[in-house]
Amino acid sequence: MKNEPDSTNFLRWFDPRNRNLGTLAFILNRITALGLTLYLFLHLIVLGTLARGPEAYDGFIKLAKTPVILFGETLVIAAGIIHGLNGIRIALNSFGIGTRYQRQIFIGLMVIAAGCIAIFVKSMFFSH
Amino acid sequence: MNETQWRVTFEIYRQKTGQPAHFDKFVMDVDPDEYVLDVVERIWAYNDRSLTFRHACHHSTCGACGMRVNGVEKLTCITPIREVARNGGQVRIEPLRNFPVLSDLVVDMSDFYLRLDDVKFSQVASLQDACLPFERKQQVREDGRYERLVDCLECGMCISACPVALTTPEYLGPGVLAAAQHAYQQSRDASLLDQVDDQDGVWRCHSAYECTAVCPSNVDPGWRIMDLRKDILRHQISKIFSRRGPSR
Amino acid sequence: MYTSSKKPQEGTFLWLLKIVAGLLIIIILGIHFYVNHLVAPGGLLSYSDVLAYYQNPIIPIMEIIFLVFVVTHALLGLRSIVLDLNPSQVVLRWINIGFGLIGVFAIAYGTWLVLFVAAKGSGA
Repeated sequence: MKNEPDSTNFLRWFDPRNRNLGTLAFILNRITALGLTLYLFLHLIVLGTLARGPEAYDGFIKLAKTPVILFGETLVIAAGIIHGLNGIRIALNSFGIGTRYQRQIFIGLMVIAAGCIAIFVKSMFFSH
Repeated sequence: MNETQWRVTFEIYRQKTGQPAHFDKFVMDVDPDEYVLDVVERIWAYNDRSLTFRHACHHSTCGACGMRVNGVEKLTCITPIREVARNGGQVRIEPLRNFPVLSDLVVDMSDFYLRLDDVKFSQVASLQDACLPFERKQQVREDGRYERLVDCLECGMCISACPVALTTPEYLGPGVLAAAQHAYQQSRDASLLDQVDDQDGVWRCHSAYECTAVCPSNVDPGWRIMDLRKDILRHQISKIFSRRGPSR
Repeated sequence: MYTSSKKPQEGTFLWLLKIVAGLLIIIILGIHFYVNHLVAPGGLLSYSDVLAYYQNPIIPIMEIIFLVFVVTHALLGLRSIVLDLNPSQVVLRWINIGFGLIGVFAIAYGTWLVLFVAAKGSGA
């Protein structure tokens, strides 16, 4: 890690020590972005099974019911909700809306995100 | 130790040209109400004359003494020991992040100052324009004829705290963008907007608002960057409509 | 001149595109998720369900539009992260070309898949 700006410092993006709430927002946004992008391309590839007939697709759906995949899907949904809500805050700020109260808005949105994720987890794991 | 004397260990970042960085420890007897900068000066005066650091006004006007204290950007002339340590504790002092280190706690601020010049930052403004626009009601006298130094101390702590400035020296940085916003607010010169309407200008910011959190002088660079974005968007939209204006 | 000497105004358009795509994704993703998994019979968990579902012409249109926005937003966002690492002009050119190709390919592949499934279901 260098003191001057350098691309090798990128791991420090994800170090929240001694930083404020906004850094948590930045870290969350970046990690969810990377996770969602990975999921996007995996999703596109996996849906290719639709072109290979019912055995391929239905076989994949069976796999998707396993706990590991269900957990992964939960993470994806959580990431989508967090990234989307934080993105709304960023978009509003960039038009000059809510900039003076951006910390409070972030906290409020993350509380909403936590609630939505909890609802989703309940319906995913406890209603089948 | 009585209540007015604490024993605190100071770990100070040391780096001279061509040598690896390391930390030197100094165990100091301090008054908890004196400032971190006072202790750094005493360390220099009585323990190690090779320690290099910046200091000037000692009352949070010049911005020279910005350092990282226990990993957090602070103006050391107004940071009491009590705020960062306890009796028997430790204080780690490092130079500001995201600037090249010249010697120990002194960093190279030249790019920052030159960029401030480039965006036509004026250190003096009317009373009305010297503070944040949404605070005018509290601070301004009716006549507004008087001028004062603007809030920004040019301390560079905002750049030290910025996560984007960690990895790219090309990013103008919150201090420079805030200065550009300030200059635009006063001059309404559209060429300033073009200067910062750039991948390394306002659009590089990722809304971490660390700059606003660490600013010791109420500049709120995060707010100012977003205000610049709003101004740029308005300017772009008005350019589109003036280009496509009805034939009169 | 110590301010950036890159071409000006390259930032606003791409950034706006990223933000607008992002905001539209929130809307369309909500619809996509709700319709695909909560309204669609069986939640699209079998091949025949998917085929039947894609017979409604609105669905392929919605999915293709969704795909375009998502791929655009994702690749612009990734590019933004790469820009934070201060690549050289040469590397950035290759990133632009590479991401552009990935984007075009992903949209083309997704569009083909949607149309393939829709056609399959109609017995073609």
